[in-house]
Amino acid sequence: MPAIDVSGVTKRFGSTLAVDDLSFTVDRGHITAFLGPNGAGKTTTLRILLGLVNATGGTATIDGKPYGALEDPVGTVGAVLDGGMFHPGRSGRNHLRGVARAAGVSDARVDELLELVALAHAADRRAGGYSLGMRQRLGLATALLGDPEVLVLDEPANGLDPQGIRWLRDFLRTLAGEGRAVLVSSHVLAEVAQTADEVVVIAHGKSVAQAPLAELTARSGGGMRVAGPDAARLGDQLRAGGADVHVDGERAILVRGRSGEEIGRVIAAGGIVISELAPAGSSLEEIFFELTGAEGGPS
Amino acid sequence: MSRALSAELFKLRTTRTSWAVVLGSIGLVVLISVLAATTGSFSVTDDAGRDLLEIAGLVQLFALVLGILAIATEFRHGTITPSLLAVPDRTRLVLAKLICALIAGALLGLAAAALCAVIALPILSARDAGAGSDSTTIINLILGNTAACALFAALGVGLGALIRNQVGAIIGALGYLFVVEPLLGVIPGFDDVVQKWFPGGASNEAAGTSGLDDPLGQIPGGLVLAAYAAFFLVAGIVVIRRRDVSA
Repeated sequence: MPAIDVSGVTKRFGSTLAVDDLSFTVDRGHITAFLGPNGAGKTTTLRILLGLVNATGGTATIDGKPYGALEDPVGTVGAVLDGGMFHPGRSGRNHLRGVARAAGVSDARVDELLELVALAHAADRRAGGYSLGMRQRLGLATALLGDPEVLVLDEPANGLDPQGIRWLRDFLRTLAGEGRAVLVSSHVLAEVAQTADEVVVIAHGKSVAQAPLAELTARSGGGMRVAGPDAARLGDQLRAGGADVHVDGERAILVRGRSGEEIGRVIAAGGIVISELAPAGSSLEEIFFELTGAEGGPS
Repeated sequence: MSRALSAELFKLRTTRTSWAVVLGSIGLVVLISVLAATTGSFSVTDDAGRDLLEIAGLVQLFALVLGILAIATEFRHGTITPSLLAVPDRTRLVLAKLICALIAGALLGLAAAALCAVIALPILSARDAGAGSDSTTIINLILGNTAACALFAALGVGLGALIRNQVGAIIGALGYLFVVEPLLGVIPGFDDVVQKWFPGGASNEAAGTSGLDDPLGQIPGGLVLAAYAAFFLVAGIVVIRRRDVSA
């Protein structure tokens, strides 16, 4: 049984179809990225999964149960959602203690988590004065209170600086490494490319792809692009060596299955003249635009 | 339920707003009762003790506000999300808030009325004015204020669940009690009904401070107020169970 199973979920707000017959699953031990442009229905889907928004149709379950039927919700699922989740006048420590009391978690665990997310120094300050990064970390600490096996994070990297994003990435890696299922939504491709094992792409409330990240990248091509007057001759030699070579325009080829260095050795050995040798495009981004039908403009 | 209740009691005592409402309202009652007891002119026939204890009734409005805040604040700051993640059963969450509000409201009402009695009555006797009320009356007034505050806080929880908007709920409730009900109360022939059966009137009845010659009595008044609280709570729970919590 998958940790998270979203099956045929539909949500209608008035005349707007926010989520349209969406299905996907999330397995334990994996980081699954939930990817889509702003307004694609990611947040709505996650809130349906967590029992906060009522679905118009379909089911969303965690360990086979809807969120509301979980016996120990905080000990089963941890969630970090977008938006203010804290009373600005309450300290970070007291915010955590409030949730801990409702979940039957000890105050000692609260202190442990404040250390873990590096907030111990600011724990007794009012949360209203926290930076965006500190709020995200407090949200993460809240999610981890019950040491849950399933984590759901909505745009957790929003507002984090590069250092914070790196910290978060390593942190999520560790959590997945411990066998937890991690579902993390994002509209930032670069973030996903370095973090996720599996990708679910949605657009206009519909799932447009679910695949391992490597498969999705492969589908888009990737490989190395080589251009120059002798490109065709190089292509022949590489092909003879077993590489996958495509002609890309008049004086360029696209090579798969060979690293830049390997191609360079063939070039040197053959005394071939080239003008360009580079990885082919920002492929994940291209496939993202292709899949979601998003334009380059602001969305 | 005990976990949810313990979380609610904790949340209530860890914001400045709660303390500002509680301490501010008690401070106001103490200030006014000291001024009234020292400067008021009472004749022997006056029921001075009762008049002074009526001042404690001021905290009933603050108890109502406390009840509204218990739930509307959660929507205002988005803390309803972590609260519901920890307690997904919305009925249970509202009931935990209800018990919390009943406790907080009762303590507020008791503290205000008891302080009022402890401060004002000695001042009266020092001035040889006499309380004009026996101790049973005084105790009934203190208990009445306690009950009225607890019920008003409970009503506030229902109202907060129903309206969700903190400012709207507070302005609506106070506007009703200060403007709408007093205006209805001056309609000839209708005034008696309003002062007995409408929420503000019922709370005066419950507190034992009704100005009517033939009051309902404290217990019937309390039951009327409890019925209003129950109505708003049921409506609030029905509405909140259906709501999409999206922020």
